[in-house]
Amino acid sequence: MTPDERELRRALETRSGEVSPEFRRRLSGTFLEGRPAAKAIPALALVAVIVLSGVSIGILLMARGADRVSHGDVATPPPTPSQIVFPHGSDMSAASGSVLWVYFVQGSLFRSTDRGDTWERRPLPTVQGGGSPQISFVDAQHGWYLVSNSPRPECSGQDINIWHTSDGGATWEPLGAPGVDYAQCKESLSFVDPNHGFLAAWDYSHQPTMYRTADGGSTWQRATLPDPSSYTTPGGGVELHVGVVKRFGSTLLVAAADNQSSEYLFRSIDGGATWTYLAHTNGALARVVFMTASRWLLVQNHSGWSETTDAGKTWHTFPNDYKDAALDPSDFVFGDDSVGYGTAGVAIHRTVDGGSHWTDIKTPGT
Amino acid sequence: MKRLERAKAGDGRAFDELLAPVLDPAFRLAMTMLNDRGAAEDAVQEAALKAWRNLGRFRPGAELRPWLLAIVANECRTARRGRWWSVMRFADLERLKGGISSDRGWAERMDLDAALDRLPQRHLLALTLYYHLDLPIEEVARVLGCTTAGAKQRVHRALAALRPAMLVEVDA
Repeated sequence: MTPDERELRRALETRSGEVSPEFRRRLSGTFLEGRPAAKAIPALALVAVIVLSGVSIGILLMARGADRVSHGDVATPPPTPSQIVFPHGSDMSAASGSVLWVYFVQGSLFRSTDRGDTWERRPLPTVQGGGSPQISFVDAQHGWYLVSNSPRPECSGQDINIWHTSDGGATWEPLGAPGVDYAQCKESLSFVDPNHGFLAAWDYSHQPTMYRTADGGSTWQRATLPDPSSYTTPGGGVELHVGVVKRFGSTLLVAAADNQSSEYLFRSIDGGATWTYLAHTNGALARVVFMTASRWLLVQNHSGWSETTDAGKTWHTFPNDYKDAALDPSDFVFGDDSVGYGTAGVAIHRTVDGGSHWTDIKTPGT
Repeated sequence: MKRLERAKAGDGRAFDELLAPVLDPAFRLAMTMLNDRGAAEDAVQEAALKAWRNLGRFRPGAELRPWLLAIVANECRTARRGRWWSVMRFADLERLKGGISSDRGWAERMDLDAALDRLPQRHLLALTLYYHLDLPIEEVARVLGCTTAGAKQRVHRALAALRPAMLVEVDA
């Protein structure tokens, strides 16, 4: 064994860990409950909804009473960048060409109103959740904060709460999620203006659900994302994860990824009531970034980027200088058709020319 | 009735017994890929349930370990593909605070631990299977879904991506 090999084994060992007895017991207990059959899941979900609805209402009522966060209440402490403890994840929301919001898991929210040149830490409500919180902002003031509890096995159900601010995070109001079912895991909260927003839900056995709101999140209505022509949602094993919705005029666009790294693209022209499958990408860890209704980028880490200007009918090479060669797929968000941001490791990169050239910007909290 | 047949018939205890010997490598794989205990537990749990539900497709006589590890690896890919999994780690930011402003300059100074953090998933998976779980290259190939020669090549490429000067050789 060479010294380098020893060093590599040590580094891998450092990342690794042993199964805890608690986890082993929990897993065994899950098996003893019986195998989840695909056909049984709707019935189980119905029972779960009935049983958990009562429990959820009670919990939410208690949570509201305990949190006491309402209009006018300040949620978390004032900005103290030097004391920020950074977690493992982040979420970006580009509200416009100049306004960018960044959220770090475990509760740090930052706002920039100058394309990321300077940052200001903004308050968040102090709430506990077991999932992956997400943000969506439509300008420097109006935003939503999704907090999820730990999901049931196989994403058969998950409770969520959505918070809203209309003053840049100074105060937050819990909206709950009226109309959003307990069934399925929730992801990709995305608002396109102060009233209209979307929330995706998925599990291993059903087509994704696309919830929509037209009243700022006070109520939600559900729609189902259809199976693409080349894809059939099976009884289990493969699922589609829906991304954030982008709006261009009356056109809504969204991409849904399967676990084989292909993305399926959908369009709605009726505000999200119905969705139509458009096209799909072929694996290779590619991601589609919508810039306008017809101009999209196909972002690939290791084989260059492509561009379409005719809504996916034809694609051509898109030269750019984005530095991401050694990293997993990045997050990309665009505030308009020119200004966008991408994460690459610890850095946030910015483009002001539609994706051709990228520069580092100051990372929040540093 | 054999344990596998009982598990296929829906016997949870039989499946638990079947899974027990391979749970440890499955969890170590998930930990190494995700570097987060909670996320690793979620991935292994989902993979185990998926394996149980699809156990009917498992061929008698085949090895359970590579089959389960492939499912776990897939779950880890799904977890890391989520948009919330943008890499933004405290240790990395500490390095940035230390005055290293450009991403390229920072990468050049990273140690092996940090380099693993930045390694593409497919490379990290190949290294973990071969150097951490110590699977024979034939079994690595089964998990990766490629030939033995292809698996060797994947490990070589992973090493090259990790550190160009690394002198580790793949025996097999």
